[in-house]
Amino acid sequence: MLKKTVLKLLMLLMLVPFASCKKWLDLQPQDGLTGAEYWKTKEQVAAAVTGCYISLTGSQTGARSNTESFFVWGELRADMLTSTLATTPEQIDVINVNMLPSNSIANWRGIYETINYCNTVIDYAPGVLAQDATFTQAALDKAVAEAKTIRALMYFYLVRTFDQVPLKLKATQSDKDIVSIPKSPQEDVLAQIVKDLSEAETAAVVDYGDRALNKGRITKATVNAIQADVYLWMEKYTEAVAACNKIISTAAFGLVDGADANTWYRTLYVNGNSNESIFELQFDNQNLNPFYTMFNVNRKFIASPIVMDEIYTIDLVDPLKADIRGDGVAVRSTDQLIWKFVALSTNPSNSSLRVQSESFAHWIMYRYADVLLIKAEALNQLGKGAEALDIVTQIRTRARALVATNTNPSPTDKLLVGDFILKERAREFAFEGKRWYDLLRNARRNNYQRLDLLLDVVAGTVPANRQQSAIAKMKDKNCHYLPIFTYELTTNKALVQNPFYK
Amino acid sequence: MKKHLGILLAATVGMLIIFYTESCKKIKYVDNTSTDLNIYGYIKSNPDKYSSITAIVDKSGYAGFLNAYGSYTMFVPTDSAVKIYLAEVSKTLATLTEAEAQNIVKFHLLEDTLTTASFKDGKLPTVTMYGQFLITGVVNNAGASTILVNRQGTITSANIKTGNGLIHEVDRVLKPAAKTVAELIAADPKFSIFKQALQATGYYDTINTINSTDPKLRRWFTVLAETDKALLDSGFANYAALKAKYSNTGNPLNPLDSLNIYVKYHIIPDIRYLADIVSASSHTTLAPLEVLASKLDDVKVLINDLDFNGVHEIGVELERTTSDISGTTGVLHTALAHFKPKLRFPTAVFWDVADFPEVRKLPAIFRRANFDFAYGAVKDITYNNPANVLTYSFSTSSTINMFWSDYLTVPMGNTSRHNWIEFTTPILIKGRYKVWVCYRAAKGSGTVGLPGGSQAPVQVSYDGVDLSRPFNFSDQRPNLTDGEMDALGWKRYTVNTNQLMTGKFLGIVDVTTTDRHKLRLRSLPAAGTGNPSCFLDMFHFIPINDVQYLPRFNIDGTLQYF
Repeated sequence: MLKKTVLKLLMLLMLVPFASCKKWLDLQPQDGLTGAEYWKTKEQVAAAVTGCYISLTGSQTGARSNTESFFVWGELRADMLTSTLATTPEQIDVINVNMLPSNSIANWRGIYETINYCNTVIDYAPGVLAQDATFTQAALDKAVAEAKTIRALMYFYLVRTFDQVPLKLKATQSDKDIVSIPKSPQEDVLAQIVKDLSEAETAAVVDYGDRALNKGRITKATVNAIQADVYLWMEKYTEAVAACNKIISTAAFGLVDGADANTWYRTLYVNGNSNESIFELQFDNQNLNPFYTMFNVNRKFIASPIVMDEIYTIDLVDPLKADIRGDGVAVRSTDQLIWKFVALSTNPSNSSLRVQSESFAHWIMYRYADVLLIKAEALNQLGKGAEALDIVTQIRTRARALVATNTNPSPTDKLLVGDFILKERAREFAFEGKRWYDLLRNARRNNYQRLDLLLDVVAGTVPANRQQSAIAKMKDKNCHYLPIFTYELTTNKALVQNPFYK
Repeated sequence: MKKHLGILLAATVGMLIIFYTESCKKIKYVDNTSTDLNIYGYIKSNPDKYSSITAIVDKSGYAGFLNAYGSYTMFVPTDSAVKIYLAEVSKTLATLTEAEAQNIVKFHLLEDTLTTASFKDGKLPTVTMYGQFLITGVVNNAGASTILVNRQGTITSANIKTGNGLIHEVDRVLKPAAKTVAELIAADPKFSIFKQALQATGYYDTINTINSTDPKLRRWFTVLAETDKALLDSGFANYAALKAKYSNTGNPLNPLDSLNIYVKYHIIPDIRYLADIVSASSHTTLAPLEVLASKLDDVKVLINDLDFNGVHEIGVELERTTSDISGTTGVLHTALAHFKPKLRFPTAVFWDVADFPEVRKLPAIFRRANFDFAYGAVKDITYNNPANVLTYSFSTSSTINMFWSDYLTVPMGNTSRHNWIEFTTPILIKGRYKVWVCYRAAKGSGTVGLPGGSQAPVQVSYDGVDLSRPFNFSDQRPNLTDGEMDALGWKRYTVNTNQLMTGKFLGIVDVTTTDRHKLRLRSLPAAGTGNPSCFLDMFHFIPINDVQYLPRFNIDGTLQYF
């Protein structure tokens, strides 16, 4: 009997520890924060906005880094790159105009990741006003302006690359938020971009009071620069010029002096955040850029021979007279190494190359020279060729461009001036991810009046035995945009493949 | 007992029922590794589009292998395509014979898996099972580009993956060529003069005969036919004029007759579509030892567009739209101008090996400074070890008196140095030449002229055939008169009289085709680890009857003829 009592007591005792654990039905994750717990303080808002910027430099979920996408989408189909033995078959297929929907270069996952981060800030940051008394309306507007600008920039990349894309403006926080969205026409996406930018413009910060913040975060000038680029793409030239003038009139930016090529190179590209810069992706030794393995060790790409032969050219009489943007900056002419992102000086020796831990050259999204040349291109379309040429001369003088590359177009000839500006942009922004978009923008103007620009490109880049097919494909304007990646088509049934790739 | 029997009976029946039902259930074993449909299974399971071609495959008796393991590519015509085809040939699916059905299937089938990404301009890399190549290209109609197969059907749905290959859906039945190349030329009035020349020289029959039923053994021909207009532009209004100009023996059937050679020069004994023509720089023709040079100039395909001894010879264009015409014996191209084998006399080639396009692009280096080219950076110079570099050297030293003061440093040896290094020569006109190597003698260790020290004995071969004499980068020329040295196989090739500046006779070559050839330097076993100081300046190819020791070359690039 006693034995039985002891046993019962023991059994009772065993229940005690379980009962005392109050949390045994708590399903909160141990190693993270949930949405319900987040969005309480202004620090959390700031962290979320920083997350948007970080996602531009690399993906947290294993997608291709957005910086790499900006480069391959902007350069692979253009004429300044050449493949090497290390170039992947997928990349070669893009160069050869053999794009298939299964080619992962068409994967836009990283871009939509960034868009979702921006959407999250836009949707949830306003709720913090009620939670944190120290969070002001002005601070909220500023955070939302940054997120909207980054979102607009991402959609601008998407429409230029895919033509029609699904317009997702609400945050996806959990599985129940996943919806199938069909593609929106390019005009609708562009309209949303313009709307976001004009909303952001009023609230955006003019000066953060710190050089690195001013160049690494969205400022009013960044918003204006993107506006100028977007309006140029939309063929709204008056608005483009107006946006450029807003930046020029601040007098806060200027061209970095090119009197000494090495100083100029180090200021603009090696150290970054120069007076010329408007918005740069800030890489540092904690967050390396993807270029070390693309251009230096594996050399997935080297510069095309035309970069030195036709774009910069060389002065055969006096080789010391050279365009400062060419040999030793864009490219090392002796072995066609793409130099800009992987070297610390213009001295073309291997000792100038960055080692892997130093591979943090910034990615320049917009700089003052870009704004000037956007203005020149818009002015030319408005029939102000002489003013446009003055700007080009300003850029050329700084860079000591060779006489041989001055085509001396008549200011009244829109086409010739346009070609001259396009070539100058190739020289100024070599390998900065702008070339393909520049070519496409010029080609599609006035209902594809200059389609020949693209045909010339593929005639030179595609191997002889595929050249005719590539040219015929390029004549189809749907081929200028990438296909929707197969994976997206299977997961989002509302998507329809782009016309050329059906 | 009766009760027991009843129970027993019931039990037996019950057991039997259980056994029977059990044995009826078939156990499913997985006997295939994938559930993907094969090509035949795929077209059979899509009768809304492919019922006609399925019927044709059934009739041909090929359904079996199209449903078995393999790797194929099939161009599958849709029902409407088959309908158009049957109307053209006035048949129905029922009246199509087995042989006809087989031919249709065979012409649409390749024993390889080819995605549209692997399509090039012109012929597909693999021949169809029918024995004729299919050609592909992209056409643009009103802004939309599509892939056109055999200039007949466009691909409406591409790269459909099946278990044993790929399917491309086409909107027309593809039809093989029925005419030989000769018949194609005869049927086209714009080739009337060329046709007569073919007939008169007997080559009409050559390109009119299918010489083997097995496509893999068949001898194909590529004919570059000249249009009447091209000939008229060159002053030949009719065949008589052409014959009067060329037929020097009066008998065009004579293989040595110039008209005969002219016709042979237009026939390549192989199948070469334009994409193949631009992929190689020269093509041998039926004319003995005469080659056609080819290149792509922007988008034009040019024949014999050459820089010859500094003079540019304008090439002849092959018109894209009227070329790549398949026949049963080969392919026909249209030349837009008249061309003929050029009669050239052997001319000396004084080849400065340190002057190549890659270094000319570097103005800060070319004739100014030293530079190491990585393996593969120089197109026309290759060597055994990719870890080595090609060193372009420049020196104004008073004891180094190279032509233009520049040269190549090509350390030769049997271990880490170049075991061999191969150059592609400039164009050499056919004829007999004496070959000279010109270098500055030097030794990495030891003294030139004395025994011992670094040695670099080298055997030179021309197109794989060893020349009669080896040479040694460590040997200087003897100090004798020009006549004496010539007799011994040496020469002073520089204006400077430095004895280290050495020209050495290597042997006589017979250049059989006017083309670029290969010259290879191979380190001989006696070299051991070799000599780091192999300073190569020039090669001379001098016709055997010309003076061999002149001109002489100077550091400032001038030539001296005494």
